[in-house]
Amino acid sequence: MSYLSIRSLHKSYGDTSIFSDIHCEIERGEFVTLLGPSGCGKSTLLRCIAGLTEVDGGQILLDGQDLVPLAPQKRGIGMVFQSYALFPNMTVAQNVAFGLRMQKVGKDESAQRVDEVLRLVELQDFAGRYPHQLSGGQCQRVALARSLVTRPRLLLLDEPLSALDARIRKHLREQIRAIQQELGLTTVFVTHDQEEALTMSDRIFLMNTGKIVQSGDAESLYTAPVDAFAAGFIGNYNLLDADTASRLLLRPVNSRIAIRPEAIQLHDSGAIAAEVLGHSLLGNVIRYRVQANGVELLVDVLNRSERDLIGKGQCIGLSIDADAIREVA
Amino acid sequence: MRADAKPAALYHRVVVWLLFLILLLPLAATLLYSLSTSWSATILPDGLTIKWYLALWSDSRFLAAFGQSLLVCFGALLLAVLLILPLLFVVHYHFPRLDGLMNILILLPFAVPPVVSSVGLLQVYGSGPLAMVGTPWILIGCYFTVALPFMYRAITNNLQAINLRDLMDAAHLLGASTWKAAFLVVLPNLRNGLMVSLFLSFSFLFGEFVFANLLVGTRYETLQVYLNNMRNSSGHFNSALVISYFFFVLVFTWAATRLNKDKP
Repeated sequence: MSYLSIRSLHKSYGDTSIFSDIHCEIERGEFVTLLGPSGCGKSTLLRCIAGLTEVDGGQILLDGQDLVPLAPQKRGIGMVFQSYALFPNMTVAQNVAFGLRMQKVGKDESAQRVDEVLRLVELQDFAGRYPHQLSGGQCQRVALARSLVTRPRLLLLDEPLSALDARIRKHLREQIRAIQQELGLTTVFVTHDQEEALTMSDRIFLMNTGKIVQSGDAESLYTAPVDAFAAGFIGNYNLLDADTASRLLLRPVNSRIAIRPEAIQLHDSGAIAAEVLGHSLLGNVIRYRVQANGVELLVDVLNRSERDLIGKGQCIGLSIDADAIREVA
Repeated sequence: MRADAKPAALYHRVVVWLLFLILLLPLAATLLYSLSTSWSATILPDGLTIKWYLALWSDSRFLAAFGQSLLVCFGALLLAVLLILPLLFVVHYHFPRLDGLMNILILLPFAVPPVVSSVGLLQVYGSGPLAMVGTPWILIGCYFTVALPFMYRAITNNLQAINLRDLMDAAHLLGASTWKAAFLVVLPNLRNGLMVSLFLSFSFLFGEFVFANLLVGTRYETLQVYLNNMRNSSGHFNSALVISYFFFVLVFTWAATRLNKDKP
C-alpha cells in the first residue's frame, strides 16, 4: 500500500460539490503536485488532508492510519501557507520553536533543532528578527522551517510561492525541492502555475472542477494530455476540432486534436503552405501566428538569431511531426 | 531648504501655535486661578498659593469620589475586555456573517442619547429583581455599553489586519489547541488595538457625567458628580479639582502609551 492513500474522498458546501470520489496514491518520499485552475478544489483537498476542513466521506490513510477522525494537531502534518501565516508577535526563532513548545520539547533540544532547521533554510543569522523585518522570500523560508522542525510525516505546501516575485520564486522553488530531497520528505504541493509543477514534481495530479483529470510525471503530462482541458491548461497547445483539423491536415480526422506549438516546423516551403500573421517575442522563443489552409496556429521557434525572423505576410511551409498530433477527447 | 519655503513654513507654524494657544488658554487660566489666593478685580491674581490643592487632596469626600470613579471605570473596562475579546474571536473565527449585525448593535449607544437611555434604565432597574439604581453596578453595566463601540471597532480593525484564519490554522497544525492558539498567537497581536481602545474608553468614561448623575447621583459619588455638587463652593477649589483631574488623565494616558510602545 502507498504511504499516503486517499480513497473516495467527498467534500461539498451545501449543494455545491467541491470534489467527489477523489482517489490517489502517493509513495513515501515523493513530491506530488496538485495542479489546476483556481476553484478546482486543489486547495480544499489539501486542507482536508491537513484536517483544517472536514470531509463529508472517504478515507485518508497515512502510513496505514486513517487521518479523517483525527484533529489537525494529532496528524503530524506540516503545512506552509500562501500568506506565510507567521506569528507577528514572535521572533523568527520563536516562530520556528512554536511547534516544539507545543510538544513540550526541552529547552536545549529545542534550541538545537531550531538552529539546525534555520541553517537548512539559510536563515541562521535572522533568528532574532521579527517577521515584519523580513522580505517575503525570507518569511516563506521561516514558515518552511517552522513546519519542518517538528519532523512532520507529511509536508503540505499551499501555493507557497504565489505571493513572491519571479526571481525569488525560482530560487525558492529550487531550495524547497533540494530540502525535500535531502530529508526524503513526502510532500504535496498545490499550485496553479504549470511551470512550478513541471519543474518541481515527481508526479503531478492535474485537477479540474473537483476531479483528477490526469496524473503522471511532468514528461507524460506535457507531451500526452488526455483531454482538451489538459491540453489547454498545460503548455500552449493548438486545440483543433475535427473539422478544422481535417482542413489543416487535408485528410479526414475524427476527433479533436492538440498540437504543441514547438512540434511544428517552419520551412521556406513544405508540405503545408502557410502565411505568417505576426509574432511575439517571448525571449528565447519566438511565437508566430500563422495561417495554413484557413486555420490559425501558434508556432514556437527557438530565437537563434535576428536574421531568421520571418516578417508579417511572408509565405512559408509547415511540417508537423506525426507523433506530435495528439487526439484528445 | 528653498527660499520660498520659509514664509510658508512660518505661516503653518503660526497657525498651529495659534490653534494650540486657543485650546490651551482656558486650561492655563484655570490652572492660574487654582493657584491664586484671590483674583477678582485685577488683571493678574493677587498672590499665588497651593492651599486649594492642599484642601482638595485632604478632602476625604474628594478622595472617595476619585477612588469610586476609578473603580467604576476599571470595572466597566474589565467587564468589556472579558466579554468583547471572546465575542470578537467567536464572531470573526466562527461566524463572520455576524459582523454585520454587530456593527449595527454597536451603533445603538450612539443612537440613543444618554439622557434618554438613562430614563429607560431607571425604569428597568429602579425596582424588581434587578434593582441596581443607586449602586455602582448599574454604572459599570452602563459604561460597558458606552465602551463597547470603541473597543469593538478598534479590535476588529486589528483582527482584520492579522489574517486570523491562517494564523489559527498554522497554530493548530503545529499542535496548539484553540485556547492555546488564541492566547499565544491571537491575543498578543491584538494588544495594540486593545490598549488604544482601553485608553480612549478610560479617558471618556472617567469624565462621564450624565449617566453617573442620573442613575446613581450622590449615593455613589463619582468625580464628575462631586464636581457638580461642589459648584457652589469656591471657584479656586473647583479649578484645582479640574486641573487635578486633567493631569491625572494626561499622566495616565502618557504612561500607558509609553508602556505600550516599549514592547515590540
